[in-house]
Amino acid sequence: MARITHGLASSHIPAIGVAMDLGKTGEAYWQPVFAGYQWTRQWLAETRPDVIILVYNDHASAFDMKLIPTFAIGCGERFQPADEGWGPRPVPDVIGHPDLAWHIAQSLILDEFDMTIINELRVDHGLTVPLSACFGQLPQWPAKVIPLAVNVVTYPPPSGNRCWALGEAIARAVASFREDLNVQVWGTGGMSHQIQGPRAGLINREWDNRFLDGLVGDSDHLRHIPHIEYLREAGSEGIELVMWLIMRGALGRATRALHRHYHVPASNTAVGHIILEPLS
Amino acid sequence: MSITDIHAYLAEFDDIPGTRVYTAARARQGYHLNQFCMSLMTPENRARWKADEDAYLADWPLSAAQKAAVKARDYNLLLDLGGNIYFLAKIFSTDGLSFVQAVSTMTGMSVADYQAMMIAGGRSPQGVRSIKGGY
Repeated sequence: MARITHGLASSHIPAIGVAMDLGKTGEAYWQPVFAGYQWTRQWLAETRPDVIILVYNDHASAFDMKLIPTFAIGCGERFQPADEGWGPRPVPDVIGHPDLAWHIAQSLILDEFDMTIINELRVDHGLTVPLSACFGQLPQWPAKVIPLAVNVVTYPPPSGNRCWALGEAIARAVASFREDLNVQVWGTGGMSHQIQGPRAGLINREWDNRFLDGLVGDSDHLRHIPHIEYLREAGSEGIELVMWLIMRGALGRATRALHRHYHVPASNTAVGHIILEPLS
Repeated sequence: MSITDIHAYLAEFDDIPGTRVYTAARARQGYHLNQFCMSLMTPENRARWKADEDAYLADWPLSAAQKAAVKARDYNLLLDLGGNIYFLAKIFSTDGLSFVQAVSTMTGMSVADYQAMMIAGGRSPQGVRSIKGGY
């Protein structure tokens, strides 16, 4: 049977992808950002996930204002990098796992999560930057990836509680898939940042680190943080952190942290990254 | 934990200093503005836009205020008129600006001062969480 072995969370700051694509990772500005991913690259090479369910949000790339799905799952064979205005990132196509993705989609709908199903999807930096940061620059991604897109742009986004519950339902769906697969769930986005208005540039190191603390152990208090708290404390774009709760919800009652990284800044944003193991 | 009072939920968003939350009301007001921005995702449209902004805008049903704000690259005003930052990014990326460069224009700071603030740890949340509460 398939099983969720680990959860991983990472910021998906576009400038991290640009720094890698342009060969700037050795610069003094970028070194502390990438240093926190070295452990991860070694660990991923050892743990070798078969499939990553990668929770992210689209940034006016595949979805515009014509269509705003709250939760959407990519069931296609292959997803090409989106052209976000500067040309597509020079990274490999993302290879899906349609059998597992359709199994999860069906299971979630029967579990009363009414998913949008996507077969054709261009994936933007929200999905490709975490892959780049965590795997490095490779000719092909070493795992299959199931994109799970969440609306965190047009209000209201889903509640943290709903995200956590979706993660729990994903775990049930994966556990009923009749193939032996090592599955990871990645939550992306965040941490504190605001890229609009006179308050732009907001960073909240203390709040971010309390959020990281809250992912570890057996408490589920993070699922009850209301949207207004993310907005006030972590900036208007800090709301992306609800996507990390899908990852956390998928890991069950308790977790322990294998690795943790936090750095300010990358571009306008606080970089956060954590790897969690479920405790049975 | 479900939200039962949508009016109270939305009203709180107006209490955050210097922040425009992209609500449904803004999404409705800015629908054509944001879709205009999306049209700049193709090289052909970017070339046409750069050649003649007025002619390009004539094809879009934006309000006069929205058109003037686009021409002026007044991003705070565009947020007020229903623009969303990820869509507005299509305008400033076409202008060759990075997010940091464009975002700094909304803060009243120079790019250098804004970047220095970020490297020093970013803008503190102290005093800018709530207008009414002043904390």
